[in-house]
Amino acid sequence: MNSRPLVGGFSELWRSSATRLIIGYGALFAAWSILLIGAISWQTARYLENVVDRILEQRLHFLATVDRSRLPELLAATTSLDLRGAMSFGLFDAEGRYLLGDIDQVPPELPVDGEVHPLPRGVSRLSGQRGSRTRGVALRRSGDELLLVLVRDYGNVDRVGTIIRGGLLWAMSLTLIPGLLGGFLLARGPLHRVRGIEAAIEPIMRGDLRARLPISGRRDELDMLAAIVNRMLDQIERLLGEVKGVSDSIAHDLRTPLTRLRAQLYRLQREPLDGASSALLLERCLGDTDALLDRFRALLRISELEDLRRRAGFRQVDVSDILRRVHELYAPLAEDRTLEFSLQAAQVPLVNADADLLFEAVTNLVSNAIKFTPPGGRIVLRTQADSQGARIEVLDNGPGIAPEEREAVLQRFYRTQRDQHRPGFGLGLSIVAAIVKLHGFRLEIGANEPTGSCMTIYCSALPA
Amino acid sequence: MSATNLPRMARILTIEDDAVTAGEILAELQLHGNQVEHVASGTEGLQKALTGNYDAITLDRMLPELDGLTLVMRLREAGVRTPVLMISALSDVDERIRGLRAGGDDYMIKPFAPDEMSARIEVLLRREPAQQAIVLRVADLELDLMSRTARRAGALIELLPLEFKLLDYLMRHCGQVLTRTMIFEAVWGYRFDPGTNVIDVHMVRLRRKVDAGQAQPLIHTVRGCGYRLGEPA
Repeated sequence: MNSRPLVGGFSELWRSSATRLIIGYGALFAAWSILLIGAISWQTARYLENVVDRILEQRLHFLATVDRSRLPELLAATTSLDLRGAMSFGLFDAEGRYLLGDIDQVPPELPVDGEVHPLPRGVSRLSGQRGSRTRGVALRRSGDELLLVLVRDYGNVDRVGTIIRGGLLWAMSLTLIPGLLGGFLLARGPLHRVRGIEAAIEPIMRGDLRARLPISGRRDELDMLAAIVNRMLDQIERLLGEVKGVSDSIAHDLRTPLTRLRAQLYRLQREPLDGASSALLLERCLGDTDALLDRFRALLRISELEDLRRRAGFRQVDVSDILRRVHELYAPLAEDRTLEFSLQAAQVPLVNADADLLFEAVTNLVSNAIKFTPPGGRIVLRTQADSQGARIEVLDNGPGIAPEEREAVLQRFYRTQRDQHRPGFGLGLSIVAAIVKLHGFRLEIGANEPTGSCMTIYCSALPA
Repeated sequence: MSATNLPRMARILTIEDDAVTAGEILAELQLHGNQVEHVASGTEGLQKALTGNYDAITLDRMLPELDGLTLVMRLREAGVRTPVLMISALSDVDERIRGLRAGGDDYMIKPFAPDEMSARIEVLLRREPAQQAIVLRVADLELDLMSRTARRAGALIELLPLEFKLLDYLMRHCGQVLTRTMIFEAVWGYRFDPGTNVIDVHMVRLRRKVDAGQAQPLIHTVRGCGYRLGEPA
């Protein structure tokens, strides 16, 4: 017995489809959030940089227009207006010599055009202070040709972007973590039910085919699956029941001749018999063995027919022609039994069938009718056109088959009360049923008026 | 064609791996005066069969080493025409067709009655090239295939078409035991068990027409087995 549980432990939770879904979803969410955060912080930084650039330019243009005597005072005020150390300036004469301010050299990479430009290499300051990222603007005054340089450190602008990024990252993490946790908890639900199904399957695997899988009533995927499996179990249970019924009846029907055979052989072994008696006994033994062999042959034939492997022989056949041959074969036998055996073969449409098998089916019906109709009786073999093809009818005025026995006579080995004392194997109608089933035709057992039975084969494909 | 000039003792090769079945086949064939050799494996069977020293072969379909179907195909490829009766536990119709296509001459399904088997072997042993004769004769019975008439001691016998076919088959195999299954197969062309004694009734009618009022009957019942047409053995 395999003791490995189907479900259990953390590894199962890890393998569960819900867990995988949640992890995949989490990864996608994180990747998208990071992309979004990057875009937001970049956009913000760009916007702030633009605003600061415009302020810087406006100040410079204002300083370019004021009177020279007010310049030192206004420059000092400009630096003090901003954050400490963020803003620096430099004033140079027409030849570029240092006059005033923290900046002692004109940055060589800075064009003198009144627009803000990045200064990747930084600037030389008297205070020795170095900014993390600096941008500057330079302009020559039109009156006195003095050169004005304003430089600003953008480090604090960048810091705003960092703060926004950090905040968003926190928000993302705080959203993702409970999501994942909740997902894991949810995944445990279905696993729990799978464990329930496992427990329900245990007895079925042990052979109790009446057990069924539990259905929660939620009508979800697991319920659908359980319902499918339950339907399959219904079918298996039914089939196994049929097999059991068949083997029971085979066992029952074979036991009688086998027991008789054994008794006869036993007698032969024990009692010294004279030639004539032993010959008679041996004859009976052979008869019993032949009967047994016949039964096996018929059984094999039925299972062969039920295998549906003879479909290759199907073609358009004339039912009337088959009936004529059956009549020809059985007319002498019927006459010997003083039965009136008539054929009414009308012109009917061709049907798609295996001619040999259809012949075999009809012979079985006729043979039964001859066997069970008392001398002086009447048997009619006829075919008639039908709305969907043709039908074959075998009518007799024998004892007939009681309505409640009609289904059962189609089962293998079944014999009705009326023929318990007659030879015959009870397999004929099972063979007919198997052939009819193979063709997709329909067999109907009815009553003839005033007495007797009416066997009908409807030779047309069953409506799907 | 008469039963009097019996051929020499026939040599039969039985290829069968099941010892009990082989014993049955051997006993039955020896009982009918045949000389039977038995091998249990396919390869050994093929070696022996290829010598061509046999008049007939009974061949099991399922064999160790080399299966019956391959064996009969190799045999036919090598040009050996010895008649082969295939015996199989596989009852499938397709299986039978496959066996005959491969080169088997007849096919039987297990379980089988030994006398049915020996009757079939007899037919295979005496199988003659296609009959060119226009008139078949057994003792004073004549069957004219052209005018489709039968005469016994010169007197015309009225036959129905079916009875004609039946007599034709019996006369072509005169002196041989023919089982009901073989008759049903050859005359009606069907291969299933018709169940009732339907064949017997047809035989009774034919016999009434052929043997009525004759001092020496020609159609004989072989107890528990079938029929034989010919002068009394």
